[in-house]
Parts: sequence; structure tokens; C-alpha cells
Amino acid sequence: MFNKETENINIKEAETVIGPSIKVKGNFHGQGNIIIEGQVEGSIKTNAFLLIGNKSIITASVEAKNAKVGGIITGNIKIDEYLEIGPSANIKGDIEVKSISINKGAIINGRIVMGAEKSAEK
Amino acid sequence: MYIYIYDIYVSEKKYESTIARIETRITDLGLNGKIIRLSVMSSLFETIKNELKKGAKTITVVGNDSILNQAITVIAKLLPANGAFKNVPLGFIPVGKKNNSLANFLGLELEENACDALSARRIKYINLGIANNNHFLTHATIPTTGTILEIDKTYTIEISEPGEIGIVNLLKDEALDNNSGAKNQKGILELSIKTKTAKKYLPLIKEYGERSVFSFKNLTVINKKLPITLDNSLEIPSPINISLAEEKLNIIVGKNHQF
Repeated sequence: MFNKETENINIKEAETVIGPSIKVKGNFHGQGNIIIEGQVEGSIKTNAFLLIGNKSIITASVEAKNAKVGGIITGNIKIDEYLEIGPSANIKGDIEVKSISINKGAIINGRIVMGAEKSAEK
Repeated sequence: MYIYIYDIYVSEKKYESTIARIETRITDLGLNGKIIRLSVMSSLFETIKNELKKGAKTITVVGNDSILNQAITVIAKLLPANGAFKNVPLGFIPVGKKNNSLANFLGLELEENACDALSARRIKYINLGIANNNHFLTHATIPTTGTILEIDKTYTIEISEPGEIGIVNLLKDEALDNNSGAKNQKGILELSIKTKTAKKYLPLIKEYGERSVFSFKNLTVINKKLPITLDNSLEIPSPINISLAEEKLNIIVGKNHQF
């Protein structure tokens, strides 16, 4: 489960909410906060905050400014600032992020490239 | 001149006293004008077109959601031919409680009590949604069963549970605290999907029930069996392309309008 702060994220602040009975296929790009509790296949991109819930199934590349993720994610994740990975998360893909927090129980199969390493590679 | 166009059903005997009260109130407020009673042979399009050409100052329809929706589409279709028509506001006097849900959104009371709003002449210049060739004021709805949605030709939405899809132009959703009016000023409409089950999987929005929300500029709706309903009144078959209309409309609202 996400921490209390995450659970208190208000639906009213989200531009897009994808409920558990919804499956989105294609390139889903938004400008505001996005909450996903359903399925997405393709790509997800937002300039704001992204929340991927514990029951979500994501088969997509993911890009956002900040994110908190749970559920099953198959695809690369690129976060500009901060990423929190919840204990239910099962990620298969590379992660590129400036700063990160990983909860106990999370499964990650892929490379994690942090901001400093990214700069060094350049 | 003030033009009052009466829907066919208001000529029924049971509305006789109601219409009398409305006409008395109109007279008391000094808003007298020409009354046109529609019949099965009348064309609302031709009626409004002729009166606008003659220099109508205000067009007011008297009836329910259906005639309001039709009048909106007619005026929106006439606007490109003569830009001056946009200066003629559309008024509405709802008669009868049946099929009169739009009055509430416009902040209008029923029957003779709506005449005060005509007198106050509080005019809002509003965007309209368009579904194929039909305009709508507030929203369009279709059941989720068998419905396929495609947004901005970039992604599709499949819905696995029974429920209802709403396409919102002007409609306050208390649960989401949305401001669809502000959104449509940016050329964006809102898609709201309500389903009945799986609430337990969505702790984040538990208090609001199961709901999904998207914003879009262009939406294609396909349902081989069921039509989409515009403004609670007009049903049109799919495939349906929905977007914000280029035309905007001046409409007279009450002080408690909900957008």
C-alpha cells in the first residue's frame, strides 16, 4: 500500500483518472496530474504528477515530472524529479530519475539511472 | 421584438392555466412580444430563421429540454450565415416538470417564475458541444455496454463494467469539483465514465464511487446498438464525432446558473 500521504491525494486535483474497469490503448499524453488504477498499453506522459495504483497493469513507457507507482509495470520509466516506488510495485524496465524512494517489498528488474550518474555519462 | 416560440405540447389543455400565468407575468414585466405556436407542420428552423431576419431582439422558447436543444442547434447553424444573429440571446421558459432538467443548470425556475430571469437579462456567452451535426448545451450520455471510445485519434478506451459515459460541456460535477466551463473555454471537453462495480479496488476515490475522467478535443463514439443522448432529449446513432463547436451562443440564465 502507499503511505498515508499518497492515499490522501485528492481526485479533485487530477486532470485524468483512469479507473480499475478502464483499459487505455495508445499514446496517452496529458498536461496535469494523472491517477491510474486500471490498465494502460502504449505510452504515458505528463508534465505533472503521476500516480499508478496498486492494482494497475501498465504495459507502457512512462514519463512524468513526479510519480508514485505500484502495480505491475512493464516498460521504461523516466521521471524528471522524484519517484516513490510502493511495496506492491513489480517493475520490469529501466528507471531514469533524479531522486528515488523504494519501499520494502517492491520488485524491480532493470537498471536504475540516477541524476548524478546520468550527468556523469554525458 | 421579443419572440416567444411555444412547443407543441404546451398547447394541451392541461397547460392552459400555466400558459395564461406566463403570459400575464410577461405582460406585467413589459416583455410582451410575438407568440408563435408550433404545430406538427411547423419547422422550428424556418420559424427562428424568419424571425431573426425580421430583427428579433430576443428569441425565447417555451417548453422543455427538447425544444431548447433544438433551438440551440438551429441558432448555431444560422450563425455562420449572419454574424449579427449572435447578438440575439436565447431565452427559455420551462413548462412542466417532465424532461426539464436543463432549466436547473441554467438557474431558471419553472413556468412563470422563469420570466423574472428574462427581465433581469443576465446573458452568458457560452461554448457549445457538437455531436455530428447536432449541438448540445450541457452534456451527452451513452451506456458503457458495447461502446468504444477514441480520443484525439491517439488512444482508445475500453470499459469492462456496465455504467454510463458522459461527455460534458457545461455540467457541474460536485464529486469531482470540476469546472467544465473553464475547460471548455480552452477548447476542451470532459469525458466522465461512471461504472457500478469495482469500487473496492479504487480506495483513492472511494467516496465518489467508481469514476474515470479524461479531457479531449475530439472524441469518436461507436456503439452498434445504442444511441447517444444529447441534453437529455435528442438521440442520435453512432458513429458520433464530438468536439467543441466553433459557434458560441448568447443565452439568458438565472442568477443560480450552475456553470
